[in-house]
Amino acid sequence: MQTTLKPSEPTNLISARLLGFWRVFKKNRGGLIGFVMLVSIVFVAIFAPAIAPYDETSASTTTISDIYQPPSAAHWFGTDDAGQDVFSNFVYGARVSLTVGFFAAFISIFIGGLFGLVAGFFGGRWETFLMRFTDIMLVIPDLPLMVVIVALTRPSLLNIIFVIGLLGWTTTARVVRSQTLAVKSRKFVLRARAIGAGKGHIVSRHILPLVMPILVVQAVLVISLAILNESALSFIGLGDPTTLSWGQMLNYAFGRGAMSTGAWWALVAPGFGIVWVVLSLTLLGQGLEQVLNPRLDTHHLMPNKPTVHVDAQPPKTKSLLEVQNLSIDYVTEGKLPAHAVENVSFTLREGELLGLVGESGCGKTTLMLSLLRLLPAAGQIVNGHVFFKGQDLTALSEEELNKIRWSGVSIVFQGAMNALNPVRTVGDQIAEAILRHMPDFPKDQIPARVTELLDLVGIAADHKDHFPHQYSGGMRQRAMIAMALACNPQVIIADEPTTALDVMIQAQILELLDGLRRKLGLAIIFVTHDLGVVAEMCDTVLVMYGGVTAEYAEVDVIYNDPRHPYTQELLKAFPDLTKPKKKLSSIPGYPPRLDALPPGCRFAPRCPLAFERCQTESPRLHVIGADGHVASCHLIEASK
Amino acid sequence: MSTEHLLEVQGLKKYFEAGRPALFSRDTRHVYAVDGVDFNLQRSEVIALVGESGCGKSTLALLLMGLEDPTGGKVTFEGRDITHLNDHQRKDLRRKIQMVFQDPYESLNPTQTIEEIVTEPLTVHGIAPHKAERDERVKKALEDAGLKPADVYLGRYPHELSGGQRQRVVIAAALVLEPEIILADEPVSMLDVSIRAEVINLLAELRITRQIAVIFITHDLGSVGFFADRVAVMYLGRIVEIGTMLEVLESPQHPYTKALISVIPVPNPRLRHERIILQGETPNPINVPSGCRFHPRCPVAMDACKASDPPMITLSKTHQAACLLLVK
Repeated sequence: MQTTLKPSEPTNLISARLLGFWRVFKKNRGGLIGFVMLVSIVFVAIFAPAIAPYDETSASTTTISDIYQPPSAAHWFGTDDAGQDVFSNFVYGARVSLTVGFFAAFISIFIGGLFGLVAGFFGGRWETFLMRFTDIMLVIPDLPLMVVIVALTRPSLLNIIFVIGLLGWTTTARVVRSQTLAVKSRKFVLRARAIGAGKGHIVSRHILPLVMPILVVQAVLVISLAILNESALSFIGLGDPTTLSWGQMLNYAFGRGAMSTGAWWALVAPGFGIVWVVLSLTLLGQGLEQVLNPRLDTHHLMPNKPTVHVDAQPPKTKSLLEVQNLSIDYVTEGKLPAHAVENVSFTLREGELLGLVGESGCGKTTLMLSLLRLLPAAGQIVNGHVFFKGQDLTALSEEELNKIRWSGVSIVFQGAMNALNPVRTVGDQIAEAILRHMPDFPKDQIPARVTELLDLVGIAADHKDHFPHQYSGGMRQRAMIAMALACNPQVIIADEPTTALDVMIQAQILELLDGLRRKLGLAIIFVTHDLGVVAEMCDTVLVMYGGVTAEYAEVDVIYNDPRHPYTQELLKAFPDLTKPKKKLSSIPGYPPRLDALPPGCRFAPRCPLAFERCQTESPRLHVIGADGHVASCHLIEASK
Repeated sequence: MSTEHLLEVQGLKKYFEAGRPALFSRDTRHVYAVDGVDFNLQRSEVIALVGESGCGKSTLALLLMGLEDPTGGKVTFEGRDITHLNDHQRKDLRRKIQMVFQDPYESLNPTQTIEEIVTEPLTVHGIAPHKAERDERVKKALEDAGLKPADVYLGRYPHELSGGQRQRVVIAAALVLEPEIILADEPVSMLDVSIRAEVINLLAELRITRQIAVIFITHDLGSVGFFADRVAVMYLGRIVEIGTMLEVLESPQHPYTKALISVIPVPNPRLRHERIILQGETPNPINVPSGCRFHPRCPVAMDACKASDPPMITLSKTHQAACLLLVK
């Protein structure tokens, strides 16, 4: 069963998290290359005395003939203006450059992180003060300021570290502040306050763990910036004269005639070091960002192949929409196809209201999107037909189908009311919908058409020029319906149009849809997990479970003579105010994952009536009675 | 009123400043989010606060939790005035009143394991300092919240659980402090209908097994009828009707309650009935209508409703409603 989980091993949490992180990170090629590059240069810096063929004071043993020697077996990278081995200098220079980079970045990250966290978490005056200060620091150009400060103070390594560190925190502060603000507004922080947690606890346990990933990425980038800054300072002669960093190697080579003598090697070696480190840190930073802030996982998808059909049977009945044995697979490279929808059939007459019911994850949305072939690339129709007014939509070309999309069948997408463009007026967006689907529509008639559409869904014309934020949730949903009506479709698919709306607004939207169907003769497919709504207004009901038809019948039959255990259980879970004493029951567990379907009946693991056969054999669709009532359950066969 | 109530709320108000109507105007406008709410709660009682969005029910919850400071009124818990307390004074109280939030996907920190989430309240309050005792309490809370066996869930992260299971984790994190009141703000509205019952039944069980009182905030009257003792209907920052569950559901007296009940879907197509669908939406609480605040949407409003704000009319010992039609 889905709900029986393996006991979790008692592991050391931090090491387990690091291990888990490493598992994901090692798949990130760029990040891994950066990491290896960085480790190698750090290794070189740490073991400099062992790696460098000559020590730092080798200059004293050189003669005049050693100056600017080209690369040779004795001096791999040649020698510099003082006759010193460039390779050895490069190796020791790594120590200086990396030390400055790491320590300066540590200072920057500490200050930036603290400022960002305090400003974001406490807000108010703290935020105003800290962020204005950050803004001021941000507009002052860093490098000239560093030059001025270092030139005024004694150029020592410590001074350089502090100057770079104290000037490099601004971006970090801003990034951390915005992340803190985002985390602070999340409900789990409010819950922690409700528990009684103090500010320190909330920051350390709830804010920091979610800010940390960004801080780590930021740190990596700040290190590379610090190394670049140090090189720049040293190059213009403001480095610590007692040490030799890569920037200083460049400075000496440049200032002492490496260019004029053609001694390119004296410039290439330090330049190579800088590029190597900055590149490694950038790659590592990008890799970490991808791993630590995973956006929606975009799987590698197979191209969508059109499917060829031989056995197309035009529908016998005069239905508006007829779906025959439709099956949809999600195909992901390197995995078995997931059977998202299998052998679903239904018909829709003119003016009919069909309810499509099932829990989340039962393939309802996939089925609806497939009718107009709007599936994501991985979703493929592998079998079946969709006839719209006798035309097989699965066999049409993309151009032919485009004529039917919106003007024949249109969709009110799930959650679409929250997808309105916030910076354009609602009227504008409806006008755009008209033009996009009917490019030939006379332009001068568009405003009148927009008003007409809004009127149809009960929005007064003066709201046309309002922006989405001036609309309430119910009005936004009405606007979405107006958009769907833009091209006078005969079928509207409404995917969860009332979920997340208040009961009264829900009732208003349902009344609107019902009115539209009477006024315009629309056929509507109403997708929902709410059985009450279906009972109130639908003519027929299709109950889906795990991608297959559980039961399909007229609405009265579904509610008063349900035959599939899933339908029966769903009904028991629904509160009925006419029977207030009845105890509600829920269906334990959740629908099967499409890539791990049970071998027999898909509902068997949760079914209270399941028996042996259900575990191994998936039931076929049985016809019950004459009115097209079908259900897929072994028990029906047994009772026949 | 005597002190026998577990929680007593009197004339509770919360106004938010909403800026000035014009740039150089002197007065500021206010959002009257909660505008004089009275009710009380007995030990192990379940009261449902019902209303549409914008009626102030969520603000009321935050006020009761002390997460917002009230503008006026009084809240008494076990006879003690808890209206204005600082964080330090409130800390002990937090153990007694716990909250379950609407969205189980948002109200759990994704970086914490279930064990960390449920242990956290104990650490915060310094309860059960010994690990063995703490672990035992955490396990008991998880199992009382229906996550059995607890060992299975301890090391998991929220994203590995279903919505219903997550909501159980939130409830377990509340239970571990052994509260006397659980304030549940729309705890099931984000869940599929098929698993709503599991959360509702769990809350109903807790009041029996642990004598916990529940304040259940929802917009859906249909989901509360089954376990609420009393129902309070809110509109624009006020309670407009309050009574026992049967009184309110079977003989609603306020026109708003009648409309709300009429739109509850009945899962039987043979019982399709006339619905009273109110037009428009709850007005913006910045501009509260004059007189009865419901009159602009009321299907039976009279002229008098525009002028006078109806008082609470006592209909029975337990049933009250605020409507001029009820004035004899």
